[in-house]
Amino acid sequence: MKKPIIMDCDPGHDDAIALLMALANERLEVRAVTTVGGNQTSAKTLINAMKVLSFAGIHHVPVAAGASKPLVRDLEIAPEVHGDSGLDGPELPEPAFSASPLSALELMEKVISESQVPITLVPTGPLTNIARLLIAAPHLKQKIERISLMGGSAVGGNWTPAAEFNIMVDPEAAEIVFESGIPITMCGLDVTHKAQIFNSEIEEIRQQGGKVAVMVAELLDFFAKFHQEMGFEGSPLHDPCAVAWLIKPELFISQNLHVDIETCGEYTDGATVVDIHGITGKEKQVDVVFDIDREGFIQLLKDSLQCYHQGEVRS
Amino acid sequence: MKRPVIIDCDPGTDDTIALVMALAAEELDVKAITTVAGNQTGDKTAINGRKIVSYLKKNVPVAHGADKPIMRPLVTAPHVHGESGMGPVELPDPVTPTLDIKAWDLFYELTVDKSEKVHLITLGPLTNVAIALMKYPALKDGIEGITMMGGSACYGNDTPAAEYNIYADPEAARIVFDSGIPITMVGLDCTHKALLMKDEIDSMASVPGTGAKLAQDMMNHIYEFATRFGFSGAVMHDPSAVTAVIKPELFVTAPYHVVVETKGKYTTGKTVVDLMGVTKKDPNVNVVLDIDREGFVQLVKKLLKSYES
Repeated sequence: MKKPIIMDCDPGHDDAIALLMALANERLEVRAVTTVGGNQTSAKTLINAMKVLSFAGIHHVPVAAGASKPLVRDLEIAPEVHGDSGLDGPELPEPAFSASPLSALELMEKVISESQVPITLVPTGPLTNIARLLIAAPHLKQKIERISLMGGSAVGGNWTPAAEFNIMVDPEAAEIVFESGIPITMCGLDVTHKAQIFNSEIEEIRQQGGKVAVMVAELLDFFAKFHQEMGFEGSPLHDPCAVAWLIKPELFISQNLHVDIETCGEYTDGATVVDIHGITGKEKQVDVVFDIDREGFIQLLKDSLQCYHQGEVRS
Repeated sequence: MKRPVIIDCDPGTDDTIALVMALAAEELDVKAITTVAGNQTGDKTAINGRKIVSYLKKNVPVAHGADKPIMRPLVTAPHVHGESGMGPVELPDPVTPTLDIKAWDLFYELTVDKSEKVHLITLGPLTNVAIALMKYPALKDGIEGITMMGGSACYGNDTPAAEYNIYADPEAARIVFDSGIPITMVGLDCTHKALLMKDEIDSMASVPGTGAKLAQDMMNHIYEFATRFGFSGAVMHDPSAVTAVIKPELFVTAPYHVVVETKGKYTTGKTVVDLMGVTKKDPNVNVVLDIDREGFVQLVKKLLKSYES
């Protein structure tokens, strides 16, 4: 049976690619897409998610707008990474469908309550929507199978020396999620910085056929510029890791560990404090992902995009 | 020419090995040893410092420093270093006297307005150094640099985020890191690789002399403790810092901007190393990332042998 998931995202170049990977895969069933302010403002991330789905010809998945700002902090966005639109690069037409009349919180509640089986959440932005859901509808926790998220880091950060962007933007939300008791898979920088795509592979995607693959190549062209300036050889495909872990966990190496979220630090807010040596003796609630079979992962991405070319993705 | 150094420490099982090494190294001129509360109380680390110097028959002054961190209560580590701070080792009462001058005043006397600058090696919490910098702002012109055992670019050992020496007195660490004095940080990134294996420790049993005996007793004690925590050998934290001054070529270092977190709920005492350069701030610390372990073991053996005569 397909694993039912909700994608909660802030597209975002790598969010868009994560969405396309999830929607194409036969092992996953995307029941809803919810958006959040993060890489760009919530107005922009909503429209970006809808544009990506429209462009790929997907109209059956509801898309709902979520939180426009973190729980208790001001929103910080990342235009230097994702451009002014949040999805700079390819020219995408306006969406061919309307957003759900429900809010992200309402849509998640509806999908989870109506489902016969537990739902897996896949957040690839700040955890604001998920935290709001857990606060507003705590009874639904038992129907959430797992949260496979992109965020955090066991070692260094990328937005501050100690913190990764998604967690740093809304550390209080992250604390609520990490203390929820729901099993978590944390695809943080430890693995995503190894999940790089190189220019030659971007070319292969451009050439593999189909307009979706070309659009992804154009997204990656823009994404690569920023990362090359940062000194990366390729571009880390952060968000697709959280999806790929659900499809092919055998591509990854993880360790079950306790993780705390720092919310009171002067230099460390948003740090995911990973108890690698088991010093705290606290419950190991997070599968921290450390390594990836990079080539297998890139192949999975190419295979996913091929499904669009061959008309194998449900519209 | 010998490099003039002051060693500030909290002996301490691995501090003891570091002192045995430093006091034997022909590259170093140990001007003084100062003690600080840390692994054990201020009284205990002070008498341990004097006992070690006496036992090794070295003529080096020992001064007592702070009995507690500058803003926090003292947290000692008896589970690591034992009730005396010396693990299982009992040394005779010292003949070396306590100076009637505090550690920070001695730093001042030995460094400011001297013809040559002194290098400071710190093996414990940074309380004495912070007090010295507060009392004598001119001190930083007399100190060539600080090589410290402390901190980590990745994980901690006392908490998931913080290494013990920094965690014990994070405000002091912050004062030191912000002082502008060149710092070499020999943290867990390095020291967890500075392991002495069982056969290497055993091979030192045949080395005669007081220094070898004392160091080897400590090594066995540390080995027993470290292997219980999953290490494959005895972790040589403080000896790594001394070695970094004696033979810097054995280490891989890189300059980074580093700040000390003092306010976190889970991260107080973390040395926040800007590994990706996201702050765009100038590096203030040489972070030691790796050690030539074989070269380190050779140096340990060589220094222990010098106590033969």
